[in-house]
Amino acid sequence: MSMFNRNEKDTGAGTAVGEKPGDASASVAAAPKPVQPPLQPVVQPAPEPAPVRSGNAGPSVISKALKITGQLESTEDIRIDGEVEGDIHGVSVTVGNGAKVKGSVYGQSVELSGTIEGKIEAKKVVLTSTAHMAGDVIHQDIKIESGAYIDGHCRPGTNKLDSKPAGKPN
Amino acid sequence: MSVAQARLLLKPPRVEGSPSLSASRLSSTLTVKGDLDCEGAIHIYGTVSGMVTADRLVVEAGGSLDGDVVARDVHIEGRMTGRIFALNVTLESAAEVSGRIFHNTISVAKGARIDARMPWRPPSYFETLEQLPEVRQ
Repeated sequence: MSMFNRNEKDTGAGTAVGEKPGDASASVAAAPKPVQPPLQPVVQPAPEPAPVRSGNAGPSVISKALKITGQLESTEDIRIDGEVEGDIHGVSVTVGNGAKVKGSVYGQSVELSGTIEGKIEAKKVVLTSTAHMAGDVIHQDIKIESGAYIDGHCRPGTNKLDSKPAGKPN
Repeated sequence: MSVAQARLLLKPPRVEGSPSLSASRLSSTLTVKGDLDCEGAIHIYGTVSGMVTADRLVVEAGGSLDGDVVARDVHIEGRMTGRIFALNVTLESAAEVSGRIFHNTISVAKGARIDARMPWRPPSYFETLEQLPEVRQ
């Protein structure tokens, strides 16, 4: 029967050949010995899913070659080097040099080296020397480097920015 | 469908080398509602609903995509609902795909869950594709 077992934990790398010669022996070795006393609480560290999860998580990168038309939402960092038409909700949002965003950017911290046409709403805002900002900036803490272009209002936000978890609107 | 102008949907073949320059990565916490248009490679670990045009699309394990795809290479280890238009399609054992898979070459690993028709098309079909067929069944 074991040959029909789906290998759920398989990472998928190079699984074009489904049957590995190691499968059968591995399942035999993994089978628990029947004499194991249940009195002793078996402490299994087995932090298997965690590393896999963290491997998939982490910052998102929208590369130079990518154009997104639509809305982005993340509970983690987003780096944009390409083009986005739509709103961005993230934690730490970095708009790189040459990148272009048409829409609002929400986050805990926003660093702008590219172009935004829209609004920034974040606790911490950094406009670097190559930044081009057309629109309002709502912030608690702002840094504007010499050379940055800004056309819009810079307003200190109320503390409602604090209460927003991960920049999500709800 | 703002992407579907009178231009070819399939990206021109890329020169080998420096793929990291334009590899986009959508992490597992990222949700995108909208269309993605990319000259290079996209790795989806998160959730995307919308149309994707790219040179190479990888839906990683745990990722999910709901929408149509036009690409040279499509590699799926996660979930995908919609139509695939790709010269080379690889479905790994963890893949769950439903829809249609228009392909020139395809490989399906043992264990993949496929609920799809898989029409074969010559390479010229993909290279001259300007607009996706309307039928959505």
